[in-house]
Amino acid sequence: MEDLLLLEQISKVYGDGDTSVKVLDDVSLQVKAGEFVAVVGPSGSGKSTFLSITGALLSPTSGRMMIGGKEIHKLSPKKMNQLRLEKIGFIFQSSNLIPYLTVQDQLLLIPELSGMHHTNAKKRAHNLLDRLGLMHRKNHYPESLSGGERQRVAIARAWMNNPDIILADEPTASLDSERGRAVVQMLADEVKLHQKAAIMVTHDKRMLDLCDRIVYIEDGILSEKKKK
Amino acid sequence: MFLALREMKHAKLRYVLIGFIMVLLIWLVLFVSGLANGLSSDNASSIQNMNTNYLVLQQDSDNRLTRSTISDNNLQDVRQYTEEGKATPLGVQMTTITKSGATKKLDITFFAIDVNSMLAPTISEGKMINQRTAHEIVADRSIQLEGFKLGDEIEDLASGETFKIVGFTEGQSFSHTPVVYMNFNGWSTISHQQTPNQEIFNTIALNISANQAKQIEKNLPNVDVISKDQALQGIPGYKEEQGSLIMMIAFLFVISAFVLAVFFYVMTIQKMNQFGVLKAIGAKSTYLARTIIFQVLFITIVSLLISISLTIGVSFILPDSMPFNLSTSLVFGCSILFLVVSMIGALLSLYRVSKIDAIEAIGRAV
Repeated sequence: MEDLLLLEQISKVYGDGDTSVKVLDDVSLQVKAGEFVAVVGPSGSGKSTFLSITGALLSPTSGRMMIGGKEIHKLSPKKMNQLRLEKIGFIFQSSNLIPYLTVQDQLLLIPELSGMHHTNAKKRAHNLLDRLGLMHRKNHYPESLSGGERQRVAIARAWMNNPDIILADEPTASLDSERGRAVVQMLADEVKLHQKAAIMVTHDKRMLDLCDRIVYIEDGILSEKKKK
Repeated sequence: MFLALREMKHAKLRYVLIGFIMVLLIWLVLFVSGLANGLSSDNASSIQNMNTNYLVLQQDSDNRLTRSTISDNNLQDVRQYTEEGKATPLGVQMTTITKSGATKKLDITFFAIDVNSMLAPTISEGKMINQRTAHEIVADRSIQLEGFKLGDEIEDLASGETFKIVGFTEGQSFSHTPVVYMNFNGWSTISHQQTPNQEIFNTIALNISANQAKQIEKNLPNVDVISKDQALQGIPGYKEEQGSLIMMIAFLFVISAFVLAVFFYVMTIQKMNQFGVLKAIGAKSTYLARTIIFQVLFITIVSLLISISLTIGVSFILPDSMPFNLSTSLVFGCSILFLVVSMIGALLSLYRVSKIDAIEAIGRAV
């Protein structure tokens, strides 16, 4: 199977000279289509930097990186912007929905940003909402949704641009374990269904059994434990 | 403008409030501008409407027509540099008159002109005076409000001479007094001529090119050539009156810029995290900037439309004696200036938006 995400010897160094801090040290990772990878580590281990680089928000200091067969470690910030729009779906902590958009508009924002007014954008949005059980909420604003519903909207939004990879930054942080599990389950199902690659940064150990692989990160070094 | 409109719809109250402030500011600007314009023509319409572009004054007269004395010799000198009929003398005398037989006094300004020259006013009622008469005049229509009619006699209190009103003209005032036109025969009866054989007046009205004006200025040492605008500024009280109103208008523009700048700056800072998320999911800075520009323009244009209608509405209920004059070009000019000012106000926010880092969205629970 093809690697949707490929990281080769990625390093990230902040500062320079004597005061430099190596946040990521020779990190390599491959994620295939249909794989759901959990990244676990204590705070300060480099999780956020790892996610920022994988999500094309930050350029690595050295190393090689490919998303969907495209090299991205040398792209300009503008190109990275475009890449995020087309190839990456983000799910943030506490969902980070836009407060003044209805559930349906949260999804329609994505085709609007890419400047392409797909005639089938609305149909796609409705399909996603339907699948995630949010159809009855499509004209509600985020403020009137429950935490679980918001996170489901965020998942639907991440799927809207049909990305190659999905990146989730502690998606269960603001949810109780039951709802959190339902959300991660939903995410896992979607990854399998559409054969995407997904990486979830979490420190919620209860969710790990839903993931295909678990990667530990500590002091900028990545290690993987094979699942039984 | 997907985001801009939806945000304004969702946060109606804030945008209505800021719009309300803008409406009041623009309304005040338009009203004061109309008043400044009206006062300006109430003060000096005779000079504004005069068919001339330069005036010759005696040297060191401080641009004041009434302070200058020009002789016939000066006129002959000036005429060497101008084409036939493009330089004509003008006498200006501020005085007090009464209706013959009455005691109620009225301040007016006599303008002595060559009745066949370019300075001849347009007659709206009655007839124009001719070159020969010595005791006939044409007056500005506004003295009708003081009870003067066609055929009435007026008495100049300074000289004791009487004149008959044979015609009325419009839009002729000088230093807030109505202008009364006479010919030079009438002029010699009211002015105290020291040299009987030489006519003395105050200025020479010119209709010439800038180049010719420079020539005259250079070659004739004892006269100054000033533009019509400088002459306006030299009318007693004109500069002070306009100056204070223009200062108010300028301040209002600056205040508007700051009000908009502060409002959108605070809004932008409040939305930094949100902008970070938008950038993380692929929104370009230019897209976010366009959203802000659209909102600023939207508020400004809607406020402008409301204010213009309010100002026009109010102008209908103002009394006639109120000097209020709002021209289309003035409204248009103010509107353009407001749009520019609002854009300047938006700059600070646009700067902040350009500095937004998408990384703000990661690892942050809000």
